[in-house]
Order: sequence, then structure tokens, then C-alpha cells
Amino acid sequence: METISQAIVNGLMMGWIYVLVALGLTLVFSIMRIVQFAHGEVYMLGGYCTYFFSVIFGVNVYLALLLAALVMGLLGVILERFLFRRFRGQVEGSMVVAIGLILLLQTAASVGFGTQDRWVPPFIPGVLVVWGVRIPWERAINVIICITLVVILFLFIRGTKMGQSLVAVSQDVDAATLQGIDVNRVSMASMAIGCALAAVAGGLVGAVFMVQPVMGGYAMQEGIAVIILGGLGSIWGAVIGGLILGLIDGMVPLVASTTVASIIGFVLIIIILIIKPQGLMGQK
Amino acid sequence: MKLGKYWGYILLIIVVFAVPVVVRNDYYLHILVLCAINIMLTASLRSIATSGQISLGHAGFMCIGAYASAIMSMKFGVPVYASMLLGGVTALVVAAIISYPITRVKTVYFVMLTMFLGTVVTLVVTQWRSLTGGTTGIINIPPLGTISIFGLSIDFSSKMPNLYFAIILMLIILLFLYRIDRSYIGSTLQAISQDDTLVASIGINLVKYKIIMFCIGCFIAGLVGGFYAHYMSVIVPNSFSLFYSIYLLVYMIVGGTNRFAGAILGAFILTLVPEVSRVFLEYQPFIFVLVLYLVIFLLPGGLVSLPKYILSRIKK
Repeated sequence: METISQAIVNGLMMGWIYVLVALGLTLVFSIMRIVQFAHGEVYMLGGYCTYFFSVIFGVNVYLALLLAALVMGLLGVILERFLFRRFRGQVEGSMVVAIGLILLLQTAASVGFGTQDRWVPPFIPGVLVVWGVRIPWERAINVIICITLVVILFLFIRGTKMGQSLVAVSQDVDAATLQGIDVNRVSMASMAIGCALAAVAGGLVGAVFMVQPVMGGYAMQEGIAVIILGGLGSIWGAVIGGLILGLIDGMVPLVASTTVASIIGFVLIIIILIIKPQGLMGQK
Repeated sequence: MKLGKYWGYILLIIVVFAVPVVVRNDYYLHILVLCAINIMLTASLRSIATSGQISLGHAGFMCIGAYASAIMSMKFGVPVYASMLLGGVTALVVAAIISYPITRVKTVYFVMLTMFLGTVVTLVVTQWRSLTGGTTGIINIPPLGTISIFGLSIDFSSKMPNLYFAIILMLIILLFLYRIDRSYIGSTLQAISQDDTLVASIGINLVKYKIIMFCIGCFIAGLVGGFYAHYMSVIVPNSFSLFYSIYLLVYMIVGGTNRFAGAILGAFILTLVPEVSRVFLEYQPFIFVLVLYLVIFLLPGGLVSLPKYILSRIKK
């Protein structure tokens, strides 16, 4: 019984990271309508930024996370302005740009940073033990940070004018323009927020697993899987989807391997795409 | 059939056949084989895409064909040519089974679905260690069997005969796909990709055509996979990763989807770019990305529209 509850907790903790990646991705997908495959690379760079700020510059690790988010957010704005703006709404064009970006960023990372093991220093050492389940404080803080960010994002979208503009553009670009919304600014904002969220996820994961140039690919696939499961453009969908996939990844390895966990997760996605492509909570 | 108007293509084919003889270096011969493989894969991908179905799982079907052919020829003693064909058939069967539910899916979801499909294939291959050898893959796969014609015995242990086989296979497949593209099926598919509601209203069963094309395309991928297995003699699940599927799609898009030759051009040039720029060592991907971005930003119609672009610039 203990191992099952441990697996559930591990899965949920991993799931929140998926949620964070998926949220950033769903923003970019639904607002800019581009295929931003390179989101995983932004996540990876976020991890490296957190590492550099905290280890090389000796900054407090929470601050490093914040700085990484800001830097990546800025990168997002630059990417939008100079690379993706031309291909807004185009599946093929944006795909090629994103793939080029993956190569660019991954190569830059492996050439610039090398392939040695790098770890983001732990946020809080030690383990909390609740009812026989071991919860490293590290992971618990991860979950708290993730939940906080989700709530902030939710309030931002519900409560601010920019947030509402984001929703408007994701529903109908032309109607939004007619309302006087500057789609360019909205696109830059969505890229900035999306990349910032990915950066935080990367930084958080960098403390638990390593920071490597290739860590982006898996995150990207999980992110897309979560979005499809939960529904494009839906925050709650991303949360539910991420937690479900996290649970699968946490619990299946108890009886089979992690490979089987991935297979089950992806087959689930394939079935969802066939039966209800809008996902569990999707709009269209 | 007036052969006169095809003189350009005939000349091209003669050049293509002459190249392996001129190129002596084994390494370059290998690159040319890879070019032929990528051309076949990209052309079949493009044929599937003409009906609006963009597949990100093409490498997965190549994987099915490769492993099927390797296992059949090694564990069941099937002669290599037959097992290659059967590899294609296996991929075809899988495609046929999966295509019924998936052809109804909208384009953007279809892309994601095929992406996960391809990944699941490689994951299953990795997991099914008893059959496939897991991540370490299969080694010592027998090469193509010796052919004897005109008293000459051609054995496939060296690069050159393999290259010729690849070229001939490629030409056959390209001719086949081109004829389909030009035929009734091809025009129907293009109509589907433009306005499928209209096509359906005329009473054309579009699902049938989409399924047929998808199956044909995946069969070719499986066949090429089979050849790849016997040529490389070693296969691992990682050779058929999502990245490969993505690259194929990039070859297709950069080459230009509007014309049949686009896939050929894109695959050929983009297979060569990394090799030619190998001198730059670890910076090589930057060159590839540069070429990619130059084409996508300056030539929206893809590489194949380059002549038109140059002409329109000259006329100004």
C-alpha cells in the first residue's frame, strides 16, 4: 500500500511540471496558431539559465528561477517578433521555423555549455514524511510553485485586460482586431508568458534531474500530450491532463517499465484524438 | 509515347546512373544511398500530404518495415528480397488498420496523432526485447541476395551495387507515385485538400481515397525501411525516431509541396547539406538551419520554385 501511495504522490509531483510546460505551450498554440515545436528547447534553456544564475553568479536559487523566467520571456518576445510573426497561423511554415529553432538552440547549448552533468542546487534539502510517503521538500516546493503560477495565470487571464485580450485572440483573431486589440502585442505577450513558464519548469526539473541540452524533446512530447488530453486553450484541461499523465507515468512503472508507461500514455492520446480531439475540456 | 519531349529526363537518368561509377569513395557512395532513401521517403510522404494528411509518423512505418524484414529474413529464413517486400506489406497492414479511424481526423490533429503513432512504434520496438533486441537493436542483418544475370554475379557486400539497387528502386517508386499524382486519384486528392466538403458533395468517397493514399505511402516507407535494414545490417529503434519523421517533413516543405519534384529536390539537397558542411564539425547544424531559414523566409514556394523566382527577378 505504501508503494502505491508513494507512486501516486511521485506521479502527481511530476504531473505538475507537465502542467507548467503544457500551459506555456497551449498559450502559444491557441493564440498564435503556430506549431512551436521548440518549446522544449526554451524549457531546456530555462534550466540552464537557472543553473548559471544560481551556481555561477551565486544568486539565491528562487531569484535565479525568476531571472531565468524573465530572460526566457524576453527571448520569447524576440522569437515572436523576428521569427514567428511571419508564420502566424501557418502550420507548415511555423513548423519549419520551429524545427530550425530546435536545432539552433540545442546545438548552441551543447556547443556552449558542453555535456557535463549540471544540477540546479536544491531549493530546500530534506524530506517530509507523511503517512509513510516520502516527499522530498524539493518536490513539494516544486508543486507549490507550479500551483501558484497556475493560479496567477488564471487570475491574470480572468482579471486583466491583457488576459482577456489573449482569450479574444485565441477565439477569433479578426473579431479581436475589430475590437481594437493589437494582435502583435498579444502575440508577444503570449510568447513571453509561455516561454517564462517553460523556463520555470526547466529550472525546477533541473534540481531534480540534470540540466542537459537534450532534455527538451521529452518535455515537448509530454506537453503536447497534456494539451491534447486536456483540450487546447483550456487551463483546467492542462491541469487535469498533466495530472493524469503524471499519474500514469508514476504508477505504471510499478507493474511494468517506464517505456510501457509512455506507451500507455501516448496510446491514450491517440484514442482521444480519434474520439474526442477537443480533449476533455476543449472548446472547439 | 513521344520520347522526344522527355529528353531532359532521360539525360538526367543517364547522369544519375553514371554517378556511382564516377564516385569512387565509399563514404560518398553511402551518402548517395541515403539521398535515394530520403528521396523515396519524402516523395511518399508528399503523396500522402496531397490529400491534406500531413504525417509526422513516417519514420515509424519505416521502422515497422525494417524490423519486419530483418526478423523475417533472420528468424524465419525468408529470402531477403521477399522479406523486404513483406516488410512493406507489414507496414501496409498496420497503416490499413489504423487508417480507418484516423482519416476522419482534422489536419492539425492528424499531425499530432501520427507523431504519437510513430513514437509508440519505436517505444513498442524498444520494449519488445525478445523480438526486436530492444535498444541495442538487431545486428548482422543479411545483405541483399546475390543476383546473377547475363552470366554476371552481383553480390551486395559492397556499396556500389547497393547504390544501383537503391537508384533503380527509387526510380520505380518515383515513376509510380508520379503516375498516381497525375491520375484521377491524384486530382481527387488535390481537390480534397482544397475543399473536401465540395468533393464529398459530388458523391466522391473521400475517405476511401485518403485511406488508399495513406496505405500506399506507408507501404513505400516500409519497403524502404526493409532496404535500409539490409543495407545497414544494423538497426536500432533510435534510427527511426520522431526526429527523422520531422526531418522528412522539413525536406518536403522546404522542397516545395506544390510540385512533385519538390519532394525530390528537398530530400536530395537537405541530405547533402549536413554532409557537405561536415567540415564545420559541431557547428554543422547551424549551416543546415541557415539553409532552412533562407528557403523558408525567401522562397515560400519551396526550393522547387527557385527557377520561377529567379526568372521573375530577372524580368524586373
